[in-house]
Amino acid sequence: MGEAVDGLRKTLEDLIGSGEHCLVINLAEVPMIDSSGIGILVRFLVSTKARGGSIKLLNPSQFAIRTLKLVGVLNLFEVFDNEENAVESFS
Amino acid sequence: MANDSTSGSANSEQRELLNISVPATASAIADVSDKVAGILLSIGIPEEKQLEIGLAMQEALANAVVHGCKNDPSKNVHCRLNCDGQGRIMIIVSDPGPGMDLRSLQAPTLGQNLYQDHGRGIYLIRQLMDDVRLERGGSEIQMWKY
Repeated sequence: MGEAVDGLRKTLEDLIGSGEHCLVINLAEVPMIDSSGIGILVRFLVSTKARGGSIKLLNPSQFAIRTLKLVGVLNLFEVFDNEENAVESFS
Repeated sequence: MANDSTSGSANSEQRELLNISVPATASAIADVSDKVAGILLSIGIPEEKQLEIGLAMQEALANAVVHGCKNDPSKNVHCRLNCDGQGRIMIIVSDPGPGMDLRSLQAPTLGQNLYQDHGRGIYLIRQLMDDVRLERGGSEIQMWKY
């Protein structure tokens, strides 16, 4: 919770509101993701997929990957360590 | 922040590292989380364990603010951090709310629950910590990392 999650929510709402449904989220500078952050990622994954798009995760930390796995949602996302590959995966 | 005590009032087994009451706000959670991270680092807790404890504590504090205090900044969340001689960490987070029942919580990993945007906090705490108990009718969570 807090500013980071509020900022992520607002950014995703704005992007999806402007018609962007294929999104790559760079997590390189995110040491940990809490349950509210996971909730945002899952909510917008569902809404982008419903519009024919998706959310791809780029460079999550090992702890972020472990956290996503612990709550069972890691397999919902495609994860990349290369931005170009992440973007190309939509084509 | 009020009632801040960080300097080791030891008893025979447990050393108190933090004992603090803060208003039920997101910024207060961030302050407490930063303070706890600094303490864990200063006593030599390994990095992975620091992250596990830090995230579990953040989840407990968020639950207390959102569910226990209904985001009312006039209410306070209380937090204690203790360590024993073997490096085992105990955290207690309490709030003035009506409490919760662990048995009423649905597993977030089952079926359509995976796609919910909430309901993972307590589950995550139980995955990250070695022992978790609810006391005071569920308005206090006690958790241990061994």
